[in-house]
Amino acid sequence: MTSSRSAVMFALALLAPALIYILIIVAYPLFDTVVLSFTNAALRPTYDFVGWANYERIFGAGNFTEVILRTFIWTFFSVATKMIIGTLGATLLNAAIPGQSVFRILTMPPWIVPMAIGIFMWGWMYNGQFGMISGILQNTGIIDKPWPILAYGDSAFWATIVTDVWIGVPMVTIYMLAAMQSIPKDLYEAAWTDGAGRFYRFRRITLPLLVPALLTMSLLSLIATFNSFDIIWILTQGGPSGSTTTMIIDTYKTAMGSRKYGEGAARAVVICIFVSLFCIVYFRAVRKLSQGEAK
Amino acid sequence: MSELSLKHVQKSFSEAHIIKGIDLEVSEGEFVVFVGPSGCGKSTLLRMIAGLEEVSAGEIEIGGRVVNDLPPVQRGIAMVFQSYALYPHMTVYENIAFPLRVERLPQAEVDKRVSAAAKVLQLESRLQQRPGTLSGGQRQRVAIGRAIVRQPRIFLFDEPLSNLDAALRSEMRIELMELHKRLGSTMIYVTHDQVEAMTMADKIVVLDVGTISQVGSPLQLYHKPDNLFVAGFIGSPKMNFINGTVTSADGTTLAVDLGALGTISLPRDAKLGAGQSVTVGIRPEHLQLGTGDFTLDITPRIVEHLGIHTVLYSTLPAGENFVGLFEGDPKVSDGQPVTLGFTRDQVHLFDSAGKAVY
Repeated sequence: MTSSRSAVMFALALLAPALIYILIIVAYPLFDTVVLSFTNAALRPTYDFVGWANYERIFGAGNFTEVILRTFIWTFFSVATKMIIGTLGATLLNAAIPGQSVFRILTMPPWIVPMAIGIFMWGWMYNGQFGMISGILQNTGIIDKPWPILAYGDSAFWATIVTDVWIGVPMVTIYMLAAMQSIPKDLYEAAWTDGAGRFYRFRRITLPLLVPALLTMSLLSLIATFNSFDIIWILTQGGPSGSTTTMIIDTYKTAMGSRKYGEGAARAVVICIFVSLFCIVYFRAVRKLSQGEAK
Repeated sequence: MSELSLKHVQKSFSEAHIIKGIDLEVSEGEFVVFVGPSGCGKSTLLRMIAGLEEVSAGEIEIGGRVVNDLPPVQRGIAMVFQSYALYPHMTVYENIAFPLRVERLPQAEVDKRVSAAAKVLQLESRLQQRPGTLSGGQRQRVAIGRAIVRQPRIFLFDEPLSNLDAALRSEMRIELMELHKRLGSTMIYVTHDQVEAMTMADKIVVLDVGTISQVGSPLQLYHKPDNLFVAGFIGSPKMNFINGTVTSADGTTLAVDLGALGTISLPRDAKLGAGQSVTVGIRPEHLQLGTGDFTLDITPRIVEHLGIHTVLYSTLPAGENFVGLFEGDPKVSDGQPVTLGFTRDQVHLFDSAGKAVY
């Protein structure tokens, strides 16, 4: 009895640092946010509990569902593009081409450059007067007057996606490259001996064996992109006219811009619920894949 | 006509010469084993025949046609890899059918060939399983099945049994030999295990650092090794070697001084001069207790009792290891001196360059 109790104490002692860390860094702020979402907290010393009022307000306002929809569209196109470009890039980097290591290094800059600097660079490229994109389009005669890309809703929406893709592609490329390199070389040699061409080998061997990695990376990228804040904030601050306002931008604007902490917290809780759902899907997928491997 | 013909085949990776000019003829239906220690180039040579490695110089002919520049699929070969190289996401059926799918054969033909291969390899009940659910031996059979359905002129095996445990290995060895009998195809088999080579081969090719050391039937290699390398490589436990010096040679008999062990006279007409260094070889299983044309006294360090055999390990006065293999239990124990003898006609003699002197 005593020895089993001391074993439990020992286990707790070993777990304590991690538990304390999680309690302070994750559990307490999360709990506090949930509590705050049921209050009318603002920039004043006291606040009252208001029940579901914040939630009723944000879902009743109409534009919140629009924000949710926009966030999903933004996330979908960004993740899909990153996955396609990243996988194609990994395929090229994995091919036996001369100067392979140089190309591998060249994929890294978007990841190495501090994110804010990369985003500012894109901000200048999108500039109508001095930007490279507008300049090239004018010089080639495609447009006849300066095009301030971030000043129009539609173009700003896609421009933020392009920047997010630029920053996110190296991660996907390196991950997919690692996944491709873990496929035994023998499989390709056996297929080549049997007469399978390059495309046939890619379709029947590489692609099916990459499914676990594609799924894992897509879900991880989905979670990160859904919560992506800095790119949109630095480029457009959610504008023009809210056309790039995703849920995370909306939450920040409400809580920090309008100082409506209670309402902001309610929006944060909604984000948390969505991301939790993605995490559940992710963990279930990972479990299923590892079970599949064990079979 | 030869099924496979290698004409001064060479392979270099930048500065490193891996295969240094190999000439070999393989007849139709032969089971040829490439054997040699790690790094001798046997797998590289097999991969060159398969078309997985380019030939740096020389010619490879299959069925009378030079195949140097042909891709593997046009060479009429099928290869079984050491790792089996099964596609983990496909069923056994699809793994075996893979080459036929590449060829775009009609489904009826695919069914027919896969079923025939599955029957030969006793895989009929496993066709819908994934490779991950199979045992090592079954995976091996699937890999062989994938080779069989292509109906190749030549089967190439790259150390196919090295991933199996000892019991399964000897079982699969017999299965492969039966398969060879049934199909009658030419098979080339790479191994570093001389027991596999001795038991399976019609013809053994012993490779040593990129060159052929000797080609012959298993018994030729055992009884008449061309050189020290082959003598040491073929046979288990390996042949005992004792260094000596020729003291006299009269054209019919050679006298060799073996230092503290005495002098042995051997019937050889070789022109070896007095003072020349030689090596005397005697296989452990050719030693007898107490009697023989030549006897020597040893004290066993270790005695291994295997039931059917007993193995004595000892060291000669000059420091060479000396092993004796005896049937049954000869009632010897470690630390107790014994006298061993052997007959002259079972002694191998090698000159200072390591070449056999007969």
